[in-house]
Amino acid sequence: MRSVRSARYLQLDSEICQISSYEGVIIWPSRKAYDELEWTRDYFEQEPGEGYFIWVKQSIARPLTTRISICSPQVSQHPRNLVVIEENVEAEINGVCNATKRYLYGSHIGRSKIILKENSGLTMRHFHKWGKEDFVDFCIDFFMGKGARLSHTYKCLAVPKTLKMESNTFLESYSSANFEVVVLAKGGEVDMYDSTFLNGEKSNAITRIRMVSDKGSKIISHTKMVGNEAGTGHLDCMGILLGEDSSINAIPELINRNNGASLTHEASVGKISEENLNYLRSRGLTEDEAIDLIVAGFLGEEKPTIIKGRAVPSRLYM
Amino acid sequence: MLQIENVSVKVEGKDILKRVSLEIGEAEIHALFGPNASGKSTLAYTIAGFPNYQITEGGICFRGKDLGDLPIEERAKLGIALVFQHPPVIKGVKLSKLLERISKQRVDVSEFPMNPELLGREINNGFSGGERKLSEIIQVISLNPSFVIFDELDAGLDIENLEKLTSVIKDKLCNNGVSILLITHRGDILRFLEPHTAHVMLGGEIIGSSDDWRKTWDTIKEWGYEKCKECPLSPARL
Repeated sequence: MRSVRSARYLQLDSEICQISSYEGVIIWPSRKAYDELEWTRDYFEQEPGEGYFIWVKQSIARPLTTRISICSPQVSQHPRNLVVIEENVEAEINGVCNATKRYLYGSHIGRSKIILKENSGLTMRHFHKWGKEDFVDFCIDFFMGKGARLSHTYKCLAVPKTLKMESNTFLESYSSANFEVVVLAKGGEVDMYDSTFLNGEKSNAITRIRMVSDKGSKIISHTKMVGNEAGTGHLDCMGILLGEDSSINAIPELINRNNGASLTHEASVGKISEENLNYLRSRGLTEDEAIDLIVAGFLGEEKPTIIKGRAVPSRLYM
Repeated sequence: MLQIENVSVKVEGKDILKRVSLEIGEAEIHALFGPNASGKSTLAYTIAGFPNYQITEGGICFRGKDLGDLPIEERAKLGIALVFQHPPVIKGVKLSKLLERISKQRVDVSEFPMNPELLGREINNGFSGGERKLSEIIQVISLNPSFVIFDELDAGLDIENLEKLTSVIKDKLCNNGVSILLITHRGDILRFLEPHTAHVMLGGEIIGSSDDWRKTWDTIKEWGYEKCKECPLSPARL
């Protein structure tokens, strides 16, 4: 497997079409890990049928890529993924979950566990793009060892009919996590639960959520920061309402159980200001063009993903 | 080029402009003086076509075309551009991205007195006063306009920066036959861009106009704006 230039996992519908590893990185189907590595069973609730197991044992220079796609009508996926980053190891993972067509009526019910051991570092970018009638329910848990560092970006610019997502992060001492969640909903319902637990002293977490609700969409975002030990946490939730029949509920929650912990939040939900719109229109942009530009800026510029040494926008490989 | 005839304007139900008339010819520079809240910016936004600025009587023609209810962007496409006094922050949108979207002509930023890094920053977010004005001018030049309104360009700028910016304006706009309306209550800009005609606005009315801007400005400096009511200036262009 050393000849492959980019380690990757590719699952189309329920079939693994490509899986490749290289020195220092093991990528297996989850089922194989469950069968052959007994310790992984602690992380799987039951024997997994689908999904990947990634075990990064030494630092890697290029990102690992994973893709789980719904390509056929009425497919039901149940990936169970496990990622383990060993002590003092740095890794980067770009993952895509998507439907290749707009009306496949598929479902994707995913569960992922990400284990960052002591002083490891992970940059993870997670892109979702779904069809109009899909159902998606996924949960991702991060377990962060002492001194571990995580940067996690989740971006979904095409939501399914129903999107339920849950994220739980457990931070030990001196670990830090930086989350960025970007959701653009047009005609779908999104329910997000994001919980971060500062379980070690000097742990640090920032969650930044940007959501845009348009065309009858409904977004509910529950974000919770829990200070069990003397760490610092910040929630930053911003939403833009575009359609009059759209809604956003931003529900930030701070729970402090340690007087050495410092927890803060800021949240705002509103429409695009007339002032900004008029400003851009005075530069010759139509109202729709101005809205597109403001929304694109609000959701953040996409950093290109590097695949085989080339910068590739995520939309091209989805 | 621009004819404003007896225009009265209401903003949020309140009468602001009262029967304002003004005519600006091709390649002319006009100055509009007036104290704060006299209606100068209201006139600028009305010409630009901002939705909340409702013309209750009179009309505005630009190059023979009645602007009527023409939306802001259509006026911009006709060649009307506005340099804002307080341009808003557009979060997440870099100046370079905006220029990419709006430019009708290539702008060589190396010709401007600026750090090129400005292009990579979010529009107006943390810009200094000079950077904000420079960003405005670059945007407006990129639109290849035929008429530009400068709303208080000299506010918040030191003389050195003002001189640099007016030099760019002369080079890129005035020398290319662009007509200009300079809105100012400080008058600092006048020493660099000498207007052909000056108008004085007070209480939403243009109370006088003169082809001698120095005389007008000296009168204001010596006697204040109220004196202009008693001493009508030459109505030569009205």
